[in-house]
Amino acid sequence: MDSLGLLADGLASAATPQNLLYAVLGVLLGTLVGVLPGIGPAMTLALLFPITYAVPVDSALIMFAGIYYGGMYGGSTTSILLNTPGESSSVVTAIEGNKMAKAGRASQALATAAIGSFVAGTIGTLLLVLLAPTVSEWVVELGAPSYVAILLLALLAVSAALGASKLRGFISLFLGLTIGLVGTSTGQARLTFDQPLLADGIDVVIVAVAIFAIGEALWVAAHLRRAPLEITPVGQPWMSRSDWGRSWKPWLRGTAYGFPFGAMPAGGAEVPTFLSYLTEKRLSKHPEEFGKGAIEGVAGPEAANNASAAGTLVPLLAIGIPTTATAAIILDAMRSYGIQPGPQLFDNNGALVWTLLASLFIANTLLLVLNLPLAPVWAKLLRIPRPYLYAGILFFAALGSYSISFEPFDLLLLIVLGLLGLAMRRFGLPVLPLIVGVILGPDLEGKLTEALALSGGDVSTLWSEPVAVVCYVVLAGILAVLAVNAVRRRRSATSTDQEVAA
Amino acid sequence: MTTDTTSTAGPPATARVVDRAQYGLAAFLVVVGGCVLLDARGLHRGFADQPVQPYAVPYVVGTVVVILGLALAFATWRGDVPQAEEGEDVDLTQSSDWLTVAKLVGVFVLNLLVVNRLGWAISGALLFAGAAWALGSRTWIKDLAIGAALSLITWYGFYVGLGLPIPPGVLDGVL
Amino acid sequence: MTVVVAYSPDPYGEAALEAALEEAAVRRERVVVVNATKGDAYVDPRFATADQVEDLTARIAAAGLDGVVLHEVVDDVGAAVVAAAESGGARLVVVGVRHRSPVGKAIMGSVSQRVILDATVPVLAVKPQR
Repeated sequence: MDSLGLLADGLASAATPQNLLYAVLGVLLGTLVGVLPGIGPAMTLALLFPITYAVPVDSALIMFAGIYYGGMYGGSTTSILLNTPGESSSVVTAIEGNKMAKAGRASQALATAAIGSFVAGTIGTLLLVLLAPTVSEWVVELGAPSYVAILLLALLAVSAALGASKLRGFISLFLGLTIGLVGTSTGQARLTFDQPLLADGIDVVIVAVAIFAIGEALWVAAHLRRAPLEITPVGQPWMSRSDWGRSWKPWLRGTAYGFPFGAMPAGGAEVPTFLSYLTEKRLSKHPEEFGKGAIEGVAGPEAANNASAAGTLVPLLAIGIPTTATAAIILDAMRSYGIQPGPQLFDNNGALVWTLLASLFIANTLLLVLNLPLAPVWAKLLRIPRPYLYAGILFFAALGSYSISFEPFDLLLLIVLGLLGLAMRRFGLPVLPLIVGVILGPDLEGKLTEALALSGGDVSTLWSEPVAVVCYVVLAGILAVLAVNAVRRRRSATSTDQEVAA
Repeated sequence: MTTDTTSTAGPPATARVVDRAQYGLAAFLVVVGGCVLLDARGLHRGFADQPVQPYAVPYVVGTVVVILGLALAFATWRGDVPQAEEGEDVDLTQSSDWLTVAKLVGVFVLNLLVVNRLGWAISGALLFAGAAWALGSRTWIKDLAIGAALSLITWYGFYVGLGLPIPPGVLDGVL
Repeated sequence: MTVVVAYSPDPYGEAALEAALEEAAVRRERVVVVNATKGDAYVDPRFATADQVEDLTARIAAAGLDGVVLHEVVDDVGAAVVAAAESGGARLVVVGVRHRSPVGKAIMGSVSQRVILDATVPVLAVKPQR
C-alpha cells in the first residue's frame, strides 16, 4: 500500500490551482482535437511542444496526459455522430455507435462511451499505479545487454505487428533509424553533409511535427472530402436504468482487454477494441440488436480503447519504451526536461511521476464532468471550414518548429520531412515505426556501446543475461512466424486482402 | 527528395496492377541507403576503447535500407499495391489533387524564405492566408485578418507567456 | 417563368421558401429551390439532409406547383443561386436575410448579399417573423 500513500502525495501536488488549470486545459484541448477531423492527440502534442520551453515539467506533463485521455474520448464523439472514426481505435465504436445515433439514441451512445471511458480509465490508471513501480523495480536490475535485447524486441514488434504489410513496417522503421543517425553523438559527424545546423541531429519534435502534422495536412489536401456529412443532432447525454444494466459488464470486460494490450509493445488499441466487440456480440442477451445499434457494442470497445491508453504508460514510464505515437512524443517531452523515463524514473523523479499518475485520475474525472454536458458544443466544432483547419495546422506546425531555434533551416527540414510523411501515407507506410525508430535508434546504439564497453568488447555479453536470452527467443519466434506466414501466403498466391479485412 | 510522389495518381482499380510510383519509393530507399553507406565510408576509427565504432551502425542501417528498397521493387513488380491511408477527412474515391499540395508547399517555402526578414507576425499571417487560399478559401480579406490575429496572438503569447521573443523582423520596435 | 429560392434548413430559408411558394402560386410558376454548400466544412447545418430534400419536394407538390430542388456541392453558394436564376430564366429570386450590422456584413459576407448584388433579376429579401 506504499504506492497508494505516494499517490496521495501526488494527488496533493496535482491539485494545486495551477496544475488543475493545466489539467482542464489539456482535457478540453484533447477532446477538441479528438473531435476535429484530421488532428489526433499525437499531432497535438507535437504542435504543443513549445510550451515545454517555459511551463514547469509537472504542469506540462499533466496537460499532456489530459490531451492523451481527452483525445481518446473525443474520437468516439465523431464516430458516433458522423460514422467517421478519427483514429483506428474508434473504428469499432462507429459500427454500433452510429447505428444507435441514427435510431435516435445518440445521447445514450455518447453517455455509455463517456462513462465507460471514465470507468476504464480509472481502473487502468489504478492498475498502472500498482504495476509500473513493480515493473520498474524489476527492470532496474537489468543490465545493458538486456536493454539491448528489449529495445530490439520493441523495434521489431512495432514494425511487424502493425499494418498489413510487414515490409512497409520495416521500411518505415529503417527510415526512422536513418534519421536517428544524423548528428555527431558518436564524436564524428554522420550524415550531416557538412551542414553545421545538422550537427546536433534532427530534433525529434521536427520529425514528429513533420510526419504527423505536415504529412497529414498535405495528404488530406490531396484528397479533400467535398460533400458534408449528415450529423445526428444531440441533446444531453443520459442513460436509462436498462442502459446501465447493459453497459457495466462490457465496460469491465473492455478494460480487461484494453489494458494488457496497451502495455504490450505494439499492442495498441485496435486489437482489444475489436476483441471486445466480438465478445460482447457473443455474450449479449440482445444479439439481434448487433448491427442495428447495440449499446454493448459501444460500451465495451470504448472502455477497451481508454484502458489501453493507460496500459501504454506502463512500458513508457517503467522501461522508457513508447508503444504508441502519442507515448513517443510524451517520452520526448520528458527528455527535453532532462528526465529519462525508465527504471530510474521512480527513484530519481518520484514526486513528479506520482503527480503525473494522480493527474491522470483528475483528467479522467474532468473528462466525465466536462464532456457529458459539453457534447452538443463539441458537435458544433465540426462546422469549422476545412481551409481554416488545415491552414491552422500548418501555421502551428511552422511556429512550433521555428520556435526551437528561430532557424529557417528547421522549417526547411520540416517541409522536406513533411513531404516524406505525405509519401508514407501515399504508399501505405505506417508512421509509428518511424517515430519509434528515431527515438529508440540512438538509445540502442548507446546501450550496445555501454554493454560492449563493460565487457571489453566481448560480444557474448549480449546474451549473458536471462532476460536478454528470453527476448532473443521471443524475437526469433516472431521472425519465424513472419517467415512461415510469408511462405504460406506465397503458396496461397492469390489475394491476401481477405485476411486483412477479416 | 520525394518528387516521385507527385508524378502519379492512385492506381486504377483493375486486376493485378503495378503501382509504378512505388518504384520511385524503392529507388528513393536505395539512394538513401547508398548515401548512408557512402557517408559511413568517410568515417574513421574513433577511440580505441570505443567498442561500437561510429561507422558500425550506419553500415548495418544503410545495407538494410538498400535491401528493403530492392525488396520493395520486387514486391511492386509482383503486383503489390499499397493501401493508402484513410482518414476522417480523406476521400480516396477521387483522384489525388497534387496541385493543391504543390500550392501548399509553395506557400510554406515562401514562409521559410521570408520569416527572418519580415518576422513571424507578418510571415505567419501570410502562411495562414496562403494555405487557406490553396485549400479553396476565397475570402482573402477575412483569411488575412484571421492569419494576422493568429500570428500576433502567438507572437505575444510566446513573448509574454513563454518568455521567448520570436525575432520581430521588420516590425522591430512596433510590436 | 420561374421563381428561384435560396434555401437552408433554418428560419431564414423557411421564410424564403414560404414567400417563394406564395409568389409562385400567384401566376402558377415553376419553383426552383437551391440548397447548395461549399462542402468545405465537416458538417454544414445549412445543407439539407436527404430526408429534408424529400420533404421539400413534397411541399412544392402539396402547394400544387411544379418545381425542382437543386441539392449540390458548389464552389460558391451565392453564385450557384444566381446561375440557377439566369439559366432558368427566372422572374424573381427569393432570399432569407439575417440581421447583421454593416461591419458584420463586411467581415462575414453572406450568400444573400452576393445574390442581391449579382442577380440580374429582381430579388425579394424576406425576414422570418419574430
